[in-house]
Amino acid sequence: MTTRLGDWLDERFDWRKVWAAIFLRKIPHVNWLYTLGSATLFVAGLQIVTGILLTLYYVPTPDHAYDSVVYITTQVTAGWFIRGLHHWGASAMVILTVLHLLRTFFYGAYKFPREVTWLSGVFLLLVVVGFGFTGYLLPWDQKAYWATTVGTRIAGVAPGIGDAILRIARGGEELSAVTLARFFGAHVWVLPAALLTLLVIHLYLIIRIGITAVPGRDE
Amino acid sequence: MEPSNTEITRRHFMSVAIAAISSFIGAAVGLPGIAYIIGPALKKETEDWVSLGAISKVEPGSPTLFKTTIERQTGWITDQEEVSAYVLTEDGQNYVAMSNICTHLGCRVRWIAEQERFFCPCHNGVFGKDGSVISGPPPRPLDRFETKVDNGVLFIRRG
Repeated sequence: MTTRLGDWLDERFDWRKVWAAIFLRKIPHVNWLYTLGSATLFVAGLQIVTGILLTLYYVPTPDHAYDSVVYITTQVTAGWFIRGLHHWGASAMVILTVLHLLRTFFYGAYKFPREVTWLSGVFLLLVVVGFGFTGYLLPWDQKAYWATTVGTRIAGVAPGIGDAILRIARGGEELSAVTLARFFGAHVWVLPAALLTLLVIHLYLIIRIGITAVPGRDE
Repeated sequence: MEPSNTEITRRHFMSVAIAAISSFIGAAVGLPGIAYIIGPALKKETEDWVSLGAISKVEPGSPTLFKTTIERQTGWITDQEEVSAYVLTEDGQNYVAMSNICTHLGCRVRWIAEQERFFCPCHNGVFGKDGSVISGPPPRPLDRFETKVDNGVLFIRRG
């Protein structure tokens, strides 16, 4: 039955070739450090699923944000679990992305012909940090408020353009409803769009070029 | 090259293991996810007696509209909700409290005294004085609340 359905679909869009290209490609003999990228991808998927679920109840306005988060955590069935996954997953994302970058760096995997993979990865790291920074404000509690106050102020000390960056990030002089709304918009629309675009490039290149072997002494 | 038996077993084992682990992770996130989505829908609203007002306001023989607001907790918001009922008495002893919500699709019906009918503005549902369907699409008479009178004050039970 499933084979027949598979054949039917394969006749129409050749999916087995795509499957083979993605999952049955030859890879060199590597070690566990090479799973860091896949681990990052897995947690990213988890963040997307739990993040979408959180938006079902979360409201990004100063008069509702905190209460809706408390509602999710204490009233909604399994809300504590979904939010907990998203909360800890956020930290895991940053840690895994950095470890993945270090593995790539120390194994020299960023060299020809993989410079573009590396570059897209560096931008992906920036996107992940952006997710962390914008997501941190959303619960709109004391920690969120003051962390964002400090974070945007740090951006503000950049020479010359600092003040402009601070005002653009906050959407004005002070942290306000505008700040919360734009951080939310960045967190659920702008950054996911950037993440998915870069991810498609990153994964395409990994599959197209193949992964590096562990560098040896003789090479 | 003919694949040897051990290779097939290994590959098969890996496929089964990956499928099992994936299903486990999928269930660990998916099942709480479903509970999370449908949770608030399963929450039963608490029934309570709501005081509508002085019973003396009801004119015998004509449905009288009572309106009152109650506090209601919806999600993380405490909200004022308006509760309305048409109260009818024929003898000054027995009271019937009818919902003003049309049984067709939930619009609000209005009592037009000259015609002695309830009319629904949405799809021309027409109800009689006692809430029975006279014409139009409503599938059943207007819903009734349980009533009680305490010290000259009329209460209905909502839930």
